[in-house]
Amino acid sequence: MHWQVALNTLWQSPYLGLFLTLISFQLGLSLYRRSGTQPWLHPVIVSICCLGGIILLSDLSYARYMDSAHFLSQLLGPTIVALAVPLYENIKLLKRYWLAFMVSNVLAGSLTIVVAVAIVYVGQGSDVSLNSMWVKSITTAIAIEIAPSIGGVAALAAGLVMFTGVFGAVIAPVLFKIFNIHHPAAQGTALGVCAHAVGTAKAIELGSLQGAFAALSMSFMGLMCALLLPFLV
Amino acid sequence: MGQLLASYGHWRLYLNWLKSPHMLKGIITFLAFYLAGEFISHLFAWPIPGSVIGMLLLFVFLYLKGSLSPALKKSSDSLLPFLPLFIVPASVGIVNHLYLLQQDGWLLVIAMAVSLVLAIPVCGLLMQHMLKIKTRKGAN
Repeated sequence: MHWQVALNTLWQSPYLGLFLTLISFQLGLSLYRRSGTQPWLHPVIVSICCLGGIILLSDLSYARYMDSAHFLSQLLGPTIVALAVPLYENIKLLKRYWLAFMVSNVLAGSLTIVVAVAIVYVGQGSDVSLNSMWVKSITTAIAIEIAPSIGGVAALAAGLVMFTGVFGAVIAPVLFKIFNIHHPAAQGTALGVCAHAVGTAKAIELGSLQGAFAALSMSFMGLMCALLLPFLV
Repeated sequence: MGQLLASYGHWRLYLNWLKSPHMLKGIITFLAFYLAGEFISHLFAWPIPGSVIGMLLLFVFLYLKGSLSPALKKSSDSLLPFLPLFIVPASVGIVNHLYLLQQDGWLLVIAMAVSLVLAIPVCGLLMQHMLKIKTRKGAN
């Protein structure tokens, strides 16, 4: 028996990173479902923690992990294109609300981004943190794609986006109660602008109209930021 | 002969699959629009990612066409739930930038918390207020 050789083959396998990613994501999905979709147990967060832990504690380097899991990253581009389909399906809802939708998206979106960037600037955060902060309010997939072009780090941007999403999804229902925000379209838009994908998941729990508006404003913010930020920053 | 008859069922299944709105057609569409987006992004040397341009192109295409093919709908419904999975490998890269979190961690947390607590009520109240004005006008 050649235990050493066999185990070594497994550890060096080009499928190792892919396998670890899939299994930790599946673990995240089960935890998320069993906890009754707690935002902080989002599958992305669970898998980042598992994989990050493995990479930090073992001799598997991030470069070697990425070589193997690269396949999944490559699917990101075509999947972002697929976001056009739900956008097209939901756009009919805007007919009655489009002006209110546009105004609150642009104003609240700029407000949340400018306030966050200003705080990092005043607090003398590093340039990389500052540049990564610009994309904190857009969906992670698009944030990863535009962060490098404005001098940020894709991974830090992804972390900020996830944190924003989770915190937003947890705090939004409380804020809705305090400020008496009860209109479904307004709730959905606020969740979509501020907490993007995680917020949209929360919005779907609140109701289907909330979910549709959250998805719409998430796509709108993503598009606007992707089109404008590279020229502004 | 018996073998031929036995495989007839499979053949029918295969024919049905060929006729059905299967995922491959949708994935080809997404890839085509993605490549078109990459092409445009590099052609004009824009810093906008090709995927976003591709999404915009597909949206405009669907809007002008005015209908959504079942194949495209099926593919996007099957692909989009996996979007979170596809962002994991890039996000794990944070392990190479832990020094940033040590340096700016608290600042980043404060910045995000304050910006959210401000923007969520502003967005919700603004939209709700504008909708109320609109329904009042509509009633008159």
